This record gives sequence, C-alpha cells and structure tokens, in this order.
Amino acid sequence: MSGLFASHNRIAIVGYAHSEVVRRTSEPLGITALRTARAAIEDAGLTPEQIDGFTSSALLPSSGEHAAQDGISVVTSDWLAKHLGGHAHYVAGFQGIGQLTGSLSLAVNALASGAADYVLLHRALHNPAGKYNDNPTTEFAGDQQWSAPQGFFGALPAIAMVCNEYCQRYGATRESLADVVVEARKNGARLPWSYWHGKPITKEDYLAEPPINDPMSRLDCDIPVQGVGVFVLTTADRAKDLPHKPVYISSQAFGYPLHHRIPLHWTLDEMMESGVGLAQRLWESSGLGPADIDTAQVYDAFSPFVYIWLEVLGFCPVGEAHRFISEGGIDSDRPDSLGTLSGGGAIGNGRLHGLPQLLECYLQLSGRAGERQRPTTNAVMSYSAPHFGGAVVLTNDPA
Amino acid sequence: MTGRPLPVPDETSAPYWAACAEHVLKLPRCSNCGEFTLPPDVTCPHCQSPEPDFKFEPVSGRGKLRSWTVIRHSFLSGVEVPFLLVDVQLDEQPHIRMVGRLLDGPEAQLHIGDAVTVAFEDLSPEFAVPAFTLADAS
Repeated sequence: MSGLFASHNRIAIVGYAHSEVVRRTSEPLGITALRTARAAIEDAGLTPEQIDGFTSSALLPSSGEHAAQDGISVVTSDWLAKHLGGHAHYVAGFQGIGQLTGSLSLAVNALASGAADYVLLHRALHNPAGKYNDNPTTEFAGDQQWSAPQGFFGALPAIAMVCNEYCQRYGATRESLADVVVEARKNGARLPWSYWHGKPITKEDYLAEPPINDPMSRLDCDIPVQGVGVFVLTTADRAKDLPHKPVYISSQAFGYPLHHRIPLHWTLDEMMESGVGLAQRLWESSGLGPADIDTAQVYDAFSPFVYIWLEVLGFCPVGEAHRFISEGGIDSDRPDSLGTLSGGGAIGNGRLHGLPQLLECYLQLSGRAGERQRPTTNAVMSYSAPHFGGAVVLTNDPA
Repeated sequence: MTGRPLPVPDETSAPYWAACAEHVLKLPRCSNCGEFTLPPDVTCPHCQSPEPDFKFEPVSGRGKLRSWTVIRHSFLSGVEVPFLLVDVQLDEQPHIRMVGRLLDGPEAQLHIGDAVTVAFEDLSPEFAVPAFTLADAS
C-alpha cells in the first residue's frame, strides 16, 4: 500500500488496565491476566460478553531452558478467551519478534475488516524461577551451532556490539548511555505500579555499575518481571458512546530483517536501514511527520535502542541522539521535550515488551496521565528493534 | 578439550565443520549465482534460488572489525570469562559478517576498521571454531 492508512483514525483504544509489576509472584500468570482483562473491560464501559475479539503474542523471551505453560508462564488469546467466557468471533496470536505492535495490528485489522466489534489486546510477561537466561546445553544443533560455540549467545552480546559500533562511530560514551537510563529510572520511580517505584538512580550509580558486555551493564537492560497490560479497542463510531476519550490509531508500520546472518546477529546498519524504511511508511500512512508529534515513546529494553529509534523516526539527525538526549531532548520535566520515557519505559518498569510505551501514549492522549499529564494531541510508540519491530502513530484528534 | 559448547553438524553444515577441524575457513557458495553466504539457508539469500546446492569453498578469512564487546558474563555453561567477541566484515565477501572471538585477549586496544585474519580455536579433538587475530599492523 501507499498513501494514507485506509483505516486512518477509524479504530480506537477505549479502555485499559495493567497489573502491578512485580519481580516474581506465586499467582499464575493467567490469573493476573484474567483480573487485568476484567478491569480493562470495565474501564471501557463494556461487559465480558461484548468482547468478541482477542489478540496477543505469548512469547516468553528467555534464552534459558524454560518450558512455556499456557496460563502459568505465558497467556495466549486462546487461553484468555476460553477462561474469560463470552463469545469470541476472532482469536489470533502474533508469531514473531515485534510482539506488541504485531498483535496490535491484528486487533486493528480485525476491527477494520469487521471480523470483530470489540477486541481485547493483551500482553502477559512472566519471570520464571531460576536464572532467566542461563542455559546448560553443551551441544547446539540447528541455528545455534553457528553462534553458541564462539560464546555468542542470547540477545545481549549483539546489542552490545551494536551499541559499541554506535559509540565508536558517533562519539557516544557510557556517560551518554547514563542519560537514557537515569531518565527511565526517574520516571519509573514516580509510577506507583512500577517494579522500580521509589528507586531512581543517579549518573554516579550508573557509572559505578560494571559492564557485563562492554559497554553495557545490567542497568542498560530491562529486568525480568511479572506483569500484564490489557487494552480494549473498537471502531470509532462505537467508541463515541463509551466513557473515555478515544485514542485513535493513525497508522502502523513494521520492519523486517534485510540480511541473512547467523542467529541474533543484529547490526547497527541493518537496524538503521530497515528502520528508515519503516519510518517512511509510518509517516506517509499517518499523514503526519515528526514535527507533529508531541511525545515519542520509543522502545528501550536495551538503552541504545532509544538512540536508534529517535534517529530512524526523524526526531534528530543520525548519530546525534546521544547529544539530543544529553541536551534535554527527552527530559520529561521539560515541557518542550519529547518526554520519551515519561511512562518509565522498559528500563523504568521492567521487561514488559512495549506495554509501557503503548500505555503512556494512551494515558497522555486520553487525558488520563494524572500528575504526568502533558498537552498531547499526537504520539508515536515503537517496539523491539526496527528490523523486527513496529511503530504506531496515535492521536486524539481524528479530524 | 574445553568445556565450551560444541556444534552438532547436520547435512547443511558438515563440510563447514570438517574444514574448520583442519583450520580452513570454507564458506557455502551458491551453485546458481556464485555468491557466498553464511549460514547456508534453504534458498540462496542473494539469487533466491530454491536449489542453491551450496558448495563449501575456501576464503581468505581476512576482514575488518565492525564492532566488538568484552563478554564479562555469559549465560552459557562451560564458558570462561572475560573474552572478546568481534563482529568482522570479510574483505572479499563484504556482505558477510562473522562473529568470533578475538584471540589477542580482552585488553586489546581496538578501533573500527582494524584488520583481522581468521584463526581457529580447538574445542575438542573433533571440533574447531573460527576466531580472529589482529593482522600485523606493519
């Protein structure tokens, strides 16, 4: 497709709920999800019987040896639809790495096509017992034969090499990365539900933390948690009759890997190349551009992702994001900034796979952000890395 | 014999690991378009041929550093830290990027674009894995 998104501002988020974000809990993830789903449906002014669509993505993103169990450590839409009761017409799961933006697109497309009238979008994350990523395997078959024998394993080494290439090429340092992490933790500390509530850190705290994969330390990575977020979506005409100000989906765009490489070998150039294409499609199909955006909630599971997203989306020139941030460009306490991590992001909440980004866009645009409320008409959120993930433009002004 | 994880060769990779055991870097080359790729895929990533019939052919193993990281914590068992992982762009096959260890040690002073050449780490009597060393700067 080209030109404006055919469902431009025709589909809206009309309610939400989220759980507390905790490190671990004995409560099965399915129970947390059910409770949160019921709260979101009530928030939207609906009843469970009215929900006829369910979309999600259920991946447990660990490189450890954890057997996923539906209702315990993952929650699929099939599970939630069955356990919530009601009469689903459309139940779908997104399979891929861009989970939240991918499953949001399933919801939007189901509503736009008429496959469902009210869709419940959820994401449920679990932190299994034992070490999250440790893997005792001693012989690797299949894809990982190409990487594990070198000791190249899990997501972090590749992200650290992307980060280092960025730092070497553009002059960013650990002091620059500290500005991202301190901002995320500052905002997360202000959120009563966040795992990091009341626990901001200083630049000195950050710099005192030893790197684990240079130049990145644990503080550059989101912490595994248990938490659930749920959004209720419907069509714009139905949204008019519901209690909260609708937040419309203006456009959505997705990125794809461009190069064949060994597993998890993500590179800076590929992220940028794929991301520039994604951003072009996003802005063209939204009818808006970066200058129209009041807040950009970009994904931050790993701190350097913030640089990459701000640059590909056009909020600052390539190679300049670290300076843009150091000069206050995302500082949530400055009214003229992008407020990029005002919802705490992943680093300020925990490993919630894009939920904090979508939640903060929704809360700001619906006027429900409380003490954090900033004047907001148009927002953008992004999830994952640009060559796998997606981005969504949202607005409260569909005219 | 190290305690490090070993590869399990299969029919798509056996010639690669057999050559590595002899300390020779052989990469899969598409029989249709002649381009190298890594790892082999069910189609050729360059010409999209569904019958790439990859042949494993020796390459120089010379390349340039694109990036690196010192691994100070690993999620794998049997892997001692710290060590340097490097992202290498091959000189003659610039579309190929390899990730291996740099055997010069974690304290090596590195720069983007530094010249490296392939080397091999013996993991067991049967298996060696490609790594790199800094090429002689003189």
